[in-house]
Amino acid sequence: MNEIVTFERILWAFMVLLNGGLLLLLLLRKNHRAFPIFFAYVFLNFLQCFLIFGSYRIWGFNSPVTSRMAWGSQVFVSGARALAVGQICHRVLAKYRGIWALAKRLLVVTAVVVLLYSWAVARGSWEFAVLNADRGTELAIASVIVILFLFTRYYEVPVEPAVRTLAIGFFLYSCFYVLNITILEGRMYDYVTLWNLLGTLAFVASMMLWVCGLRDRQPETTLEPELLPGGIYNEVAPEINERLRALNDHLSRSWRMERKRS
Amino acid sequence: MSLLLYSFFGLVGLLLILFAWSVRAPERLASSSAPTDALDECGRRHMEYLPQIRQAFAETDYDFLSENASREVLRRVRQERRSVALAYLAALREDFQNLLRMARAITVLSPELAAGHEFERIRLTAKFAWQYQMIRWTLLAGFAPVPQLHGLSDLVSGLSVRIEAALKELGERAAVAAELASSMNRRGLDVV
Repeated sequence: MNEIVTFERILWAFMVLLNGGLLLLLLLRKNHRAFPIFFAYVFLNFLQCFLIFGSYRIWGFNSPVTSRMAWGSQVFVSGARALAVGQICHRVLAKYRGIWALAKRLLVVTAVVVLLYSWAVARGSWEFAVLNADRGTELAIASVIVILFLFTRYYEVPVEPAVRTLAIGFFLYSCFYVLNITILEGRMYDYVTLWNLLGTLAFVASMMLWVCGLRDRQPETTLEPELLPGGIYNEVAPEINERLRALNDHLSRSWRMERKRS
Repeated sequence: MSLLLYSFFGLVGLLLILFAWSVRAPERLASSSAPTDALDECGRRHMEYLPQIRQAFAETDYDFLSENASREVLRRVRQERRSVALAYLAALREDFQNLLRMARAITVLSPELAAGHEFERIRLTAKFAWQYQMIRWTLLAGFAPVPQLHGLSDLVSGLSVRIEAALKELGERAAVAAELASSMNRRGLDVV
């Protein structure tokens, strides 16, 4: 256990350095202009590290004050995380006004449903309230990223490599966090040390991905495509659907016929 | 740990699978031509080979062979008819995918769209994929004779006048879109 604690300290120091490095990189490459909310999130994370470290020094590791400080600051960090993911969705889809309007509604509904689900499924005690809220947020973030990528794949929307890397970093960390909290909830005290270590490792991995993704300067705005006049969609979409339906009917008719014959 | 908590593991697993599928590069479609060209080409090709395909599926031919040809010949004919049926299925699928490509191109470039049409298209796509796979597996396993070709000519008769008119408009915009895509490629963007 002592080895884990020592290793975690080293990892923690490395994480703070990496966090600072990412902040510097964002500033040097001027990517804070392209991703202002992401920059704010990384900055809040950096501040949180010092806040928690200061609390440990003053009140000790197991103090309730430290615990309140850590979870209280986590609310802001998680909020910034969710907003940063929202910014990614906006950057990828907002230039396509039609699908963005549809995607926005779908993404919000997904996030709300997932939050409600995770709240309903989790333990009801207040002891786990913050953990549950955090898990719900992370699960919602992961679901929103999946819906975003399903959208981009379905509509063949191009995604900048840097944005994709950011999204992958968020997604993998969120998934890991959900699993980690779920195990913690089941085994509580005998898992706390390992939980902290694994959480830090996952975050370090995400940050390394972000550093790789943002090593080059990104354009502040992306090119807007020339959109079609509004009426075309209303004329063509029902026609195409009708034709797709005809192909489907043809397929099922021949299938039914064959079943009868055989 | 309650059973419901295990559902988190299932959910995360599902998200990981969906994510991996959606992030990987899509299969490059065989033809790089515009969707409208692909549709025209498809329709023309089906029409061109329609008599031969019909001949291959004709019941009278098969009846004649079963009375006059050897078992070996009959088996070979059945195999060939199956290959034709599979090729025909693949062509139907190609038609379907070309239509989908065109629909997506229009949807992406439309300033507003109807969720109903979009969800209907997803439903039709899922239904087609399911039926296609079922028929294909059944044919491959040799459990069913070849499908009928009634109504094929209706399906390959080209696009309606209204779609043609709308596509003309799309064609004019295509040059702008192509220019945009090439400039994006130059800047190192990727299609997910």
